[in-house]
Amino acid sequence: MAYQDLRTYLDTLSREGQLIRVMDAVLPEPDISAAACAVNKLGDKAPALLFENILGYTDARIAMNVHGSWRNHALMLCMPKDTPLKEQFHEFVRRYQTYPGTVEERGEAPWQEVQIDKDINLFDILPLFRLNHGDGGFYIDKSCIVSRDITDWDNSDAQNVGMYRLQVKGKNRIGIQPVPAHDIAIHLRKAEELGENLPVAICIGNDPLISTVAAMPILYHQSEYEMAGALAQEPYPVVKAQHTGLQVPWGSEIVLEGKILSRVREGEGPFGEFTGHYSGARQMPVVEITKVSHRSSPLFEHLYLGMPWTEIDYLMGVNTCAPLHVQLKEAFPEVQAVNALYTHGLVVIVSTKCRFGGFAKGVGMRVLTTPHGLGYAKVVIVVDETIDPFNLPQVMWAISTKFNPEFDLFTIPGLSVLPLDPASDPAGMTHKLVIDATTPVAPEKHGHYSQELSDPITTDAWVEKLRQLLPTA
Amino acid sequence: MKSRPICPRCESERTDTLTRSPVPGVWEVYHCEACFFAWRSTEPDFITDPAKYDPEFKLSREQLDQSSVMPAVPALLKR
Repeated sequence: MAYQDLRTYLDTLSREGQLIRVMDAVLPEPDISAAACAVNKLGDKAPALLFENILGYTDARIAMNVHGSWRNHALMLCMPKDTPLKEQFHEFVRRYQTYPGTVEERGEAPWQEVQIDKDINLFDILPLFRLNHGDGGFYIDKSCIVSRDITDWDNSDAQNVGMYRLQVKGKNRIGIQPVPAHDIAIHLRKAEELGENLPVAICIGNDPLISTVAAMPILYHQSEYEMAGALAQEPYPVVKAQHTGLQVPWGSEIVLEGKILSRVREGEGPFGEFTGHYSGARQMPVVEITKVSHRSSPLFEHLYLGMPWTEIDYLMGVNTCAPLHVQLKEAFPEVQAVNALYTHGLVVIVSTKCRFGGFAKGVGMRVLTTPHGLGYAKVVIVVDETIDPFNLPQVMWAISTKFNPEFDLFTIPGLSVLPLDPASDPAGMTHKLVIDATTPVAPEKHGHYSQELSDPITTDAWVEKLRQLLPTA
Repeated sequence: MKSRPICPRCESERTDTLTRSPVPGVWEVYHCEACFFAWRSTEPDFITDPAKYDPEFKLSREQLDQSSVMPAVPALLKR
């Protein structure tokens, strides 16, 4: 049974020892971001954090690091918390391939309990705080933002649910970053070409799956809610927000409705980004909020992002691998698994069988031409099917021994990449690199690979035997 | 009348109090109408004090106005 709101998921995290409640009074700065940064230093089993006593607020609560470990990721998928990452990946891919799931439209939602449409002050409703010292202000960085194509309003497949950073600049005024490669930028362009505002609903404090889907590179005409239904393996509940007519998650804590002001750009940033670098400041669009709805005592969900790894690397890890894996396999069924965990897939590792010489290089080039690869995949490493791409010691071994720069490396000049890549020059342009670390197959022939080691014949049995003999903690 | 704070980032005087803590007297949030910076009275002095603000992150309105536009504003379609 999938989680339909954040509260029930936090209950499970608490039962499984994956939630720390911070009852001590904390300052909005620097305590909350420092604690959320620190929790990632505990390793890949880190818990979520729930701050319940924030100085200056009466009953505000902030949930951080909700997605911030592979344990939490497994629990989101209703799998045992210690499920190995590769198993989580294959289960995620299996569910992804059941797309489209079903969507259940309900009549009412808990978030309709409190409604505000006059004298809106987001700072009273949301316990906003600065995340990193160089940030230009207070951000909402983990919301699901819903929009539609105003020229094709009834097409729910073109409705988009995405996660874009939001700088709260005034009591009801927000800066938004619609990166041109992202779907909301298509909606905005169509509205701005007509001189119209773009209605948006900003949903904060959500069930864990819809945040995963909102941060996932799916196709323009794929519905995020149908993808959430596929990943949940049960109908995904939504409710129509009356002010904008947009479908929003039934389980959200807070829903902000408003519009992106047509053809307006205003200074935004900098913001510490998932690349481990600040974004710099740019002129970006502005949202005006005209209605706020929320549950009583709403949970404000936020994530820390800074020098990787942080929560965002877990949030957009497996969900980046899955679409790449499926798109690659459509062309090359020989592909075994795809690891795009690093910086949202700026580095991609693919394991594949190779049918003939040069095959791995072809697979590498296909990575570059996937929709996500156009904006990421700066370095592609292709390894044999015997290598687990999630096991970096194995990948490093493959590069160490199977790779000869004379034959196995090529760069392609002048390709696109996300402008936030600090190495791109100009921002948004880069060369890309493919490393073929597979064993050469005919007619390709270089190196000496006929005597690769194999484990002694009873090793697997000994692994099991020794595991049972290990002292229990 | 209380004077307006100087923006720590662009050092403009076009600033205002944006909001106050729901529990009275704990903190205030200020914002700058020139560079859109916002800060809270209880933040460390390297955020609130213009003299101590990290020089690498100082930003003037002129610099902002010259920064890139993302996404570009499209041409209006003729109706």
